[in-house]
Amino acid sequence: MLWFAVHLPWLSLEAFAAALDEAQRRQPLALLAEHEVQAVNAAAAAAGVRPGLQRATALALRPDLQFGQADERRDAQALQAVVHTALAFTPAVALDGHSVLLEVASCLRYFGGADALLARLRRALQPLGHRVRIAAAPTALGAALLARWRDDLHQGPQRDDLKALQRLLDEVPVWLLGPGRKHWEALQGMGLQRLSDLLTLPRAGLARRFGETLLDELDRARGTRPDPRPWLSAPERFGARLELAQRAEQAEPLLHAAALLLQQLVAWARARQSRVLAFELRMLHESRHRAGAGVPPATALRVELAEASVDAAHLQLLLRERLARVELPAPTLELRIDCHELRRQAAPNAELFPNRQSEQAGLQRLLERLRARLGDDRVLALQAVADHRPEKASVLVRAAAAPAPSLSSSSAPSLSSSPPPAAAPQGPLPHPAWLLPEPQPLAEREALPLFQGRLLQLLSGPERIETGWWDGDVATRDYFIAQAADGALVWVFRQRLPVRDPAQPLWYLHGWFG
Amino acid sequence: MTVSPDLFAALPEPECLHPALWRAHQLGREQQQPAVASGFAELDAELPGGGWPARALTELLLPHPGVGELRLLAPALAAVQGGGRSVLLFEPPARPQAGTLAALGLDLGHLLLVQGRAAAGGAAAAPLPAADLLWALEQALKCGHAGALLAWLPPRLPPEALRRLQLAAQAHDGPAFVLRAQAALARPSAAPLRLRLAAAGPDELALHLVKRRGPPLAQPLRLALPPALSAPARERALRLAAEQAAAALPPALKTRPRAASASS
Repeated sequence: MLWFAVHLPWLSLEAFAAALDEAQRRQPLALLAEHEVQAVNAAAAAAGVRPGLQRATALALRPDLQFGQADERRDAQALQAVVHTALAFTPAVALDGHSVLLEVASCLRYFGGADALLARLRRALQPLGHRVRIAAAPTALGAALLARWRDDLHQGPQRDDLKALQRLLDEVPVWLLGPGRKHWEALQGMGLQRLSDLLTLPRAGLARRFGETLLDELDRARGTRPDPRPWLSAPERFGARLELAQRAEQAEPLLHAAALLLQQLVAWARARQSRVLAFELRMLHESRHRAGAGVPPATALRVELAEASVDAAHLQLLLRERLARVELPAPTLELRIDCHELRRQAAPNAELFPNRQSEQAGLQRLLERLRARLGDDRVLALQAVADHRPEKASVLVRAAAAPAPSLSSSSAPSLSSSPPPAAAPQGPLPHPAWLLPEPQPLAEREALPLFQGRLLQLLSGPERIETGWWDGDVATRDYFIAQAADGALVWVFRQRLPVRDPAQPLWYLHGWFG
Repeated sequence: MTVSPDLFAALPEPECLHPALWRAHQLGREQQQPAVASGFAELDAELPGGGWPARALTELLLPHPGVGELRLLAPALAAVQGGGRSVLLFEPPARPQAGTLAALGLDLGHLLLVQGRAAAGGAAAAPLPAADLLWALEQALKCGHAGALLAWLPPRLPPEALRRLQLAAQAHDGPAFVLRAQAALARPSAAPLRLRLAAAGPDELALHLVKRRGPPLAQPLRLALPPALSAPARERALRLAAEQAAAALPPALKTRPRAASASS
């Protein structure tokens, strides 16, 4: 067995400070739990503020000290993200206080050794923005103790050797043991500083005085007692919330906060070995504004991806374009991201040189970006339909999410594959490439259409189209190819029966031969 | 100290020094990327690099949409699609016809449109604002995964917009065409290749090379496009044009052609 313990000594503070901006983070900060300082940042520590002080004492030391409220839910959510990141590496992950324990012996070979795995783990944890201490040991609790104790124990002889671990554990201060912390003063009074001091005492007396759990934990850390652990797993649905430090009305601070949640979302998706298909960002509005003027309690923004992704930067880019278009009815105090739509598939291979597949993926990303900013119905594909009316012979549909080649075969009436492109350039083109959205009426003189003040010369035609009587949109037209004054070819038609109104124009311009 | 003539003889010709150098009477060469053949041999002979340049903007100036621009570009676009890459149309001036494009050799599965108006439902929305259009075009150029781009841009644009697009185009591994109204001819442009298109007759296109990396071309190129007219109809059109030239009268007033409604 080889255990990595990832200890997060400043988890609560970092989870609180994540919602703050850079300048605020450098101010002295302290987290309060029941009027008592629980954690402080470096600026506050420099002024002498220590955990355990009363609120008033801390304020006396540093009058401009900023306070935050400790929040166990917030801590748990931040810890959850670390657990999810770890789950991407090994299915054997357990929690011990603010330490995440990973059993990695079974996946060392896959990741190319403990050092390579460690480097990958650190890299994966980096976007979450926590300072971590990692230790490695053959027992779970041993690794956790070492991680809490010192920063440099991720390698060394204790990683593989139980005897070395036991020697090292002898030096560990006794208060790092969970139950030991409760009896810390009593143990200190008895002159028991290190774990080795405990071992020299008679076990029965020690158990009677401090409880069975102290010895039990000591034995599990030293590997003399089995230490089975329930493995954690990533939940089916992802939900994370973030309370903003101040009211946000603009997209930019919202985006900054949402970036944090997106990192957690990506960690969750990675833990499930899947990729995100769609997620929803909810911006909860201040209750003060909710009462008036029918402001909804929250504004929801659903982001759907054409191709599943676990790239936080890409998700953020999409969210940025979407947020830029959203008008918030009221300031936002809290963000929530929910997601349950994942696609389980192997991650695409990274390629050194661009190939067709990576190109297709890149194009999909481009289309997603365009869609996010311009709107879903602005990115279109062209489809041919079996209809003789030119305005109905091709339709614009939303560009498919799937790779382009499958587009034409997807719907039944489509004919786009029927004219084989290979047999193309022989005969004359039957119809123009450009079709006006609406036929443009032309005046008539001497039985010929008038276009831009000149008579059009009809060169070819008529091509009679008489169809559509079944759907009420009957077209009875004679199409001609005509030449405009400058030599360009245009497509005109003469309305045949029924001409009810003599004032109705007879000739229409319908297309250009582009 | 005199310089012997042998020294000059020993010097290499300037155009051999670096691919970015060429003499005023020569055509520039395409440096990084082979150009995409236009499908018209006469045109390829006059284009630097022997085709439509990749990684650069090509500006086409039209008197109005529909002079034959799609028929001119179709062979190159089909070649790009033949490589499995997509063609993107930005804000086309009218609705493209699927059947005609397929007949021109284009693959509809690899054709995408980005446009503001006439969405799927038929509800005519407004055209895209110029800022959005330029943004979308720049993104497409920068991403480098699109095969070929055609963008119909408004004639009035700040000059830095085109410069920005030209810079973005350097990441785009394929031809990028910007189509604008002829009014833009007088304005400077950052595109290294500019052409003015005009109809020269039935199924014929006159190409003026306004700007290229090479000597100016005095005569416009006349290209025969893939025909829209059948051979008899084309003959009739030419005969009519000759009659009109002979009559030297405004064509619409006197020599009214007979309505060619009998047959084609």
